[in-house]
Amino acid sequence: MRQATGQITRLGTLKTLLQRFAFGSLIVLTFALMLIGKAETVLVERARIAVTDAVVPILRALSEPANVIAHGISNIRELAAIREQNADLRENNERLLQWQSIAQKLEAENRSLKALLALVPEPTASFVSARVVGDTGGTFAQSILISAGASDGVKKGNVVMTGEGLVGRVTQAGARSARVLLITDINSRIPVLVGEAANRAILAGDNGLRPRLLYVGAKTVVAPGDKVTTSGDAEAFPPGLPVGRVARIEDGIIEIEPYVTRDRLEHVRVVDFGLAGILPTPETPREAKK
Amino acid sequence: MHQATLGQRLDLVARRAVPVGITLFLLLFSVTPLHIPGLATVGPMYTLIAVYFWSVYRPDGLGYGAAFAIGVTEDLIVGTPLGSTALLLLLCQWVVFHRQRFFNGRPFLEVWLAFAVIAFGAGILRWMCIGLITSGNFPAAGDLLGTVMLTVMLYPVIGWLLARAQMKLMVQP
Repeated sequence: MRQATGQITRLGTLKTLLQRFAFGSLIVLTFALMLIGKAETVLVERARIAVTDAVVPILRALSEPANVIAHGISNIRELAAIREQNADLRENNERLLQWQSIAQKLEAENRSLKALLALVPEPTASFVSARVVGDTGGTFAQSILISAGASDGVKKGNVVMTGEGLVGRVTQAGARSARVLLITDINSRIPVLVGEAANRAILAGDNGLRPRLLYVGAKTVVAPGDKVTTSGDAEAFPPGLPVGRVARIEDGIIEIEPYVTRDRLEHVRVVDFGLAGILPTPETPREAKK
Repeated sequence: MHQATLGQRLDLVARRAVPVGITLFLLLFSVTPLHIPGLATVGPMYTLIAVYFWSVYRPDGLGYGAAFAIGVTEDLIVGTPLGSTALLLLLCQWVVFHRQRFFNGRPFLEVWLAFAVIAFGAGILRWMCIGLITSGNFPAAGDLLGTVMLTVMLYPVIGWLLARAQMKLMVQP
């Protein structure tokens, strides 16, 4: 017994020494990893894909109870406001029916005009619906993980939307999972058009709830409530996707409130508009698409 | 010499894996969408809480290698710059290991206060890492403060759960 205790003590000392050495080398390794990561090598991307693919099934199971609870809470909330909502919906319905007839008229007119011009139709977009199984949202990153990947037709560069508006872009597609960089992420830069005059600007995230507008022209007049849509520049997004509206302008900083409600993000639509985009992948170099 | 049976060895391995296992579970929990309004931009640093807890109460349970591996896994899943979380978990552990005498037998409140200081330092370090790696795009400072405060406030809850797990799973009957 005593012999065993002695062995344990010796082992303990050896372990402490090893740990000291390990600490130094691991710190060096973290800096090395940061440098490799900054270079955005294929190796790092593959590692991220492998780990994400491995954890997505677990995340899917974990997110199930959270979804059930969230649904329960929102059901109770909606129940309280159901009478009011009903009246609103009836009113909305009447208004939308009017719009529908207008839209049908315009559609018919549009079709006949296109036929007159012999316009070549734009390629139709295909889409995949996916569940949000991971939300890495926080101060340090703003991305979501979805339960659809390359096997479902999701590709790097695909545009991710909900019925409300633009969510972000697929930056990494594994076999069964994909990572979507949200428009609020610090690395997100989207060419947009602002307001009725359709002035060009860049929407930049800062990991907060409201991304900001950058490179707004000096003579551009922007007011709270102005709509922000994608401009289609740089071929990353098709033009005209709804992004959000101008929420606040303070000290020259223009904050945008996205249409998409972050905490209610449960299902998304991954759309392939067939754009080459600015995110070339090793498998599909940009030149090949041109 | 008493030779341990296979069952006993497996039992020992399972007990040793408890700190790493629970920390990895917390990591996965941290990326589960909870649909809580207002929490989209402040995510508590769960792994920091766990690594700090094990370093204080079970220094043998989770070594530098494990902390590094957990940090790298978090960076790969969350999408933060590779190595940045590993760096702060290692530094947190180093501070605790080097002040082991300070932590020995301290009341909970003092351990919590020390954690608040470490969490604040870790938050700033991670914020700076991201800012420097993304070439000067620093995340919103208000959200950083929210994240640190939420992490500190969650420490007693997570700490209590970890202590229960330690009593139940790690102490030999």
